[in-house]
Amino acid sequence: MLWTKTEKLKTLFSGLVIIALLATAYFLSSKENPGNAPISLMIGISLGLLLERGRFCFFCIYREGIEDKNTTPFLSILVAIASGSIGYAIIFGQFLPDTSGDSLPPAAHIGPVSWPLVVAALAFGIGMSLSGACISGHLYRIGQGYLRAIPALIGVLVGFVIAFLTWNWLYLRAIADAPTIWLPHTFGYAGSILITFIALIAIAVFAIKKGKNSEPIRSQPLQVLTFKSIYRKVISERWSPITTGALVGIVGTFAYLRVEPLGVTRQLSTTARTFMEERNIGPDSILGLDRMAGCIAVVSETITNNGWLAIGIIGASFAAALAGGRFKFSKLTFKNSIASLIGGILLGWGSMTALGCTIGVLLSGTQAFALSGWVFFLFSFLGVWLGIKAKLHKI
Amino acid sequence: MFKAKKVSAAIATAVVLGSLVSPSADAAPKNQARAVVQADWLEKNIDDPKVRIIEVSTEAGLYERGHIKNAFKINWYTDLVDTVKRDIVPIGKFNTLIAKAGIDKDSTVVFYGDKNNWFAAWGAWIFNQYGIEDVRLLDGGRVKWEKDARAFTTAVPTFKAGAFKATKVDRSLRANLTYDVLPVAKGIKKGVKLVDIRSADEYNGKIFAPAGFQELAVRAGHIPGAENIAWGLNVNADGTFKTVAELKKLYADKGIDGTKPIITYCRIGERSSLTWFVLSEILGYGDVKNYDGSWTEYGNSVGAPINNPAGTIWGAQ
Repeated sequence: MLWTKTEKLKTLFSGLVIIALLATAYFLSSKENPGNAPISLMIGISLGLLLERGRFCFFCIYREGIEDKNTTPFLSILVAIASGSIGYAIIFGQFLPDTSGDSLPPAAHIGPVSWPLVVAALAFGIGMSLSGACISGHLYRIGQGYLRAIPALIGVLVGFVIAFLTWNWLYLRAIADAPTIWLPHTFGYAGSILITFIALIAIAVFAIKKGKNSEPIRSQPLQVLTFKSIYRKVISERWSPITTGALVGIVGTFAYLRVEPLGVTRQLSTTARTFMEERNIGPDSILGLDRMAGCIAVVSETITNNGWLAIGIIGASFAAALAGGRFKFSKLTFKNSIASLIGGILLGWGSMTALGCTIGVLLSGTQAFALSGWVFFLFSFLGVWLGIKAKLHKI
Repeated sequence: MFKAKKVSAAIATAVVLGSLVSPSADAAPKNQARAVVQADWLEKNIDDPKVRIIEVSTEAGLYERGHIKNAFKINWYTDLVDTVKRDIVPIGKFNTLIAKAGIDKDSTVVFYGDKNNWFAAWGAWIFNQYGIEDVRLLDGGRVKWEKDARAFTTAVPTFKAGAFKATKVDRSLRANLTYDVLPVAKGIKKGVKLVDIRSADEYNGKIFAPAGFQELAVRAGHIPGAENIAWGLNVNADGTFKTVAELKKLYADKGIDGTKPIITYCRIGERSSLTWFVLSEILGYGDVKNYDGSWTEYGNSVGAPINNPAGTIWGAQ
């Protein structure tokens, strides 16, 4: 039996969701001034599918490595950085052929390296343990029926509000004078790719040696081409970490080429900022933030490009989860809601203060050869490690 | 008299419209056909090595993600200014820049950019000061080009180093606070027309600066004697310039007809360079200066008289 009746209905409904998303993109593109909304939605759809099908959830990946010693999924992050860094180097080579000056490529996520970045990354990591995912993880896991994402995302908004209140103080004391270190300034593009790959290989060797990897890196290739086998491969089975990582890097490259580096927090921070503006809470101006594209919190009442991206992630993830039989409402208790809420606050504060999250700073930053991305990688991992050792994720 | 004016305006319009069809480099030196290029013309001449196209946009990454073929990028806030002295770009740095842009003595330089060509017009003003002879603006700028579904490319052009070298700066295009603006404001120098191109609320002193702008002066209002003609009146809804007849009338209605020297200003001098371009390059009026210090210098200057109809006072609760 290929499909049960329920499976058929679920798949049909998934197809309708995807068609609705594509129709929305089409509708957006036929408006008078479409801007980047349609392409942002398409990028979001691709990312939603990848995150869900490849289970590209930073917390799950870290946790499996730390707790279960299964480091195979960890490779997907490393591959995403590798493929993305090649893509970025290709684009950078044209956007900014000469790296000898002071200038940075436009709108890339290259942030200052400061102690607030370290603290923010640690807080973000602990927030991941407490709430069960990072921000992109929560977005795609809403689509899987992960109800804890709701208090977590409310917490993220609260965290942004707190971060806006602490930002100017931190900025003047530590961030304004902090160095913005971009590897190509010193090593050029070729040297930067080389350094990135050496670092990635070193981490991979460490991860493989430390892990007890029993999970096959890829399942049996298709023996015979049948609808059933294709369905199983594409919709039911988890995509291989290598494929997922490579595709995430490619989507990141296209996002930077066409719109801005991948990042999932701007719509949320914009919402928080607008909320504050309407109630006259907090400072009038957020110092120095105009330097960071993709994470700027502009006051706005409409859905930003980044909002369309988030809608794409949630919608596509829902469609993929439903068709693959992975859609299930998670258990929501008072205790785990509170843990999610507090974790969310840490995620929000951390991502605003670090000027991005695991997608915006970690992925888009390391791919863009920014030291800030690597610092966030290291300390957010450390935060998760501490959180897991303290059993925060079991709350 | 009035009738005669109307008739001559109609003739002027007809002449301009006629010449718009096929603008050429050897048209009269100062008129719309010469100073403003249409997109069709630019598309036809896009590969002409005598035509150098320059984009001056302010949004980061706009040029990199797509620009008009063969367009060279200039960064307004680093390439065209002296960030240490608050001055226009020094001559040495300017010469390095235009050599890289491949500009020769006989080049036709076409500027375009985002935000209604504001910063492109600033570029045109700088290039004129350094003696580049044929500087034009693309009608409607980047927005119209994109709206008309014309092609963009991401390929960055490289040019054989240009031979033009600026040797002096033409100071007659630029107004200075002490020598040009204050004497007019204090009534010592008569007969100079000041044009304030900011919004009516800024001109009347109701607000210190438009919402979202950081550059402030501690006083609101305008320079005594200035006429308020907002920059937006120069252009149509699609960002293209109004006809010569419309522009002539717009300024003549406020007593500005080119018979007297003119000084334009705004908040930081960039939007007023668009009005400078209209008066000096499109209408061909003789003595037009852009005051780049503008309200952020004048409004903050000790001892400079202002006119503030709204009476707002900085710091008053």
